[in-house]
Amino acid sequence: MNDRKKAVLGGVLGDNIVLSGLMVISPVIICGDTLKNAEALIYAFSAITFLSVLISSFVPKKLPYTVKVIIYALISALVYIPVKLAAKEFYPESIERIGIYYPLLAVNSLIVFQTEAKFFRMKKTDMIISLISCIAGFDIVMLLTGFLRELFAYGTINSRIVDVNTLIGGLSQPFGGFIFLGLMCGAYRFIRGLVSGNNNVRSDADVSDK
Amino acid sequence: MFLINDLIALLAANLILSQALGTSTIFIAAGSRKNLVATAGVITIFTTVGSAAAYLIDLILQPSVSDLRLLFYTIVIGVLYAALLAAVYKFGNRWFEDLRRYIHLSAFNCAVMGTLFTINKRAAMDGTMFNLGGYVSAGFEAGIGFIIAALILTAAYRKLNSSKVPASFRGFPAMLVYLGIISMAVYSLK
Repeated sequence: MNDRKKAVLGGVLGDNIVLSGLMVISPVIICGDTLKNAEALIYAFSAITFLSVLISSFVPKKLPYTVKVIIYALISALVYIPVKLAAKEFYPESIERIGIYYPLLAVNSLIVFQTEAKFFRMKKTDMIISLISCIAGFDIVMLLTGFLRELFAYGTINSRIVDVNTLIGGLSQPFGGFIFLGLMCGAYRFIRGLVSGNNNVRSDADVSDK
Repeated sequence: MFLINDLIALLAANLILSQALGTSTIFIAAGSRKNLVATAGVITIFTTVGSAAAYLIDLILQPSVSDLRLLFYTIVIGVLYAALLAAVYKFGNRWFEDLRRYIHLSAFNCAVMGTLFTINKRAAMDGTMFNLGGYVSAGFEAGIGFIIAALILTAAYRKLNSSKVPASFRGFPAMLVYLGIISMAVYSLK
């Protein structure tokens, strides 16, 4: 894969925002214990992030960094309002369960910091593809976490009881989320190392400081 | 005995260990003593002053328009962010280059915004907390909680990043598992 393709499509596998960048991990740890929660979070994250970054790309680049960061955060806080209103219609139960993590999706570092460090350095088309790939990366991790944690913590899939012999109740708790995500991160790195032939992989996620 | 009780209460209410708020920030804070002091200090300022402003917002904001809360909290943090940068630039110009990184890092993250929303939620459930003092002390407590969690992680940081840990699990994955184990211990205190 050449560098341009890597930068554009890397969000799903090469540099997953959750497993490699450790961004937006709080909702995954706390709320990613059922498929229904995962669906609600995927909807909110995808809609808020995509629209916010897209709208933020029209903010004049000449403005000072601090002003731009504040404007990006304000844009995502505004985008959050219609997304939340729509979510109340589609996922009323999950909204209650997700609680404070719903608004926190709007201040994720992908919107506030990665816009400057990554997306706005690309051409518009590349930026949109890269953004979609980053969002898809989060969605896949969230779905997988929700599915596995629900299956092994509650013995259900999307609230339907399935035949699982061993249940691990702790997986539904925050500490279960930490440990599960840590193991997933390790497995992801191991697989990435096997594919790239370099197992000495470290996250390069950090905050842009211009 | 009182001290032990207070410590247990502080651990049990710790926003990182019990709610995973600001987990990625704590990984940066635990990297070095300088990072720890600077990040924890700036986050405590944001949570404490931010809580005071959040109290005023919660006082004015009607429940029917509660979806606007995030917007108002963002404005507050934005103003605080700019004010803190300006204050450091004016009064601590020597350290500006060093400190601004931590201010950028601490302004818009789950640790700060999550604290404001958690305090709002607690105050909605417990009416006695709905006063300026209650908000500010809860904000300050959250900052102290961040420092405690960062200290716990700092204690094991070098070992979790050492070459003895398999490469795939070295660093972040090992730190997440470690935080999970600490979180499990804290969970048992509740």
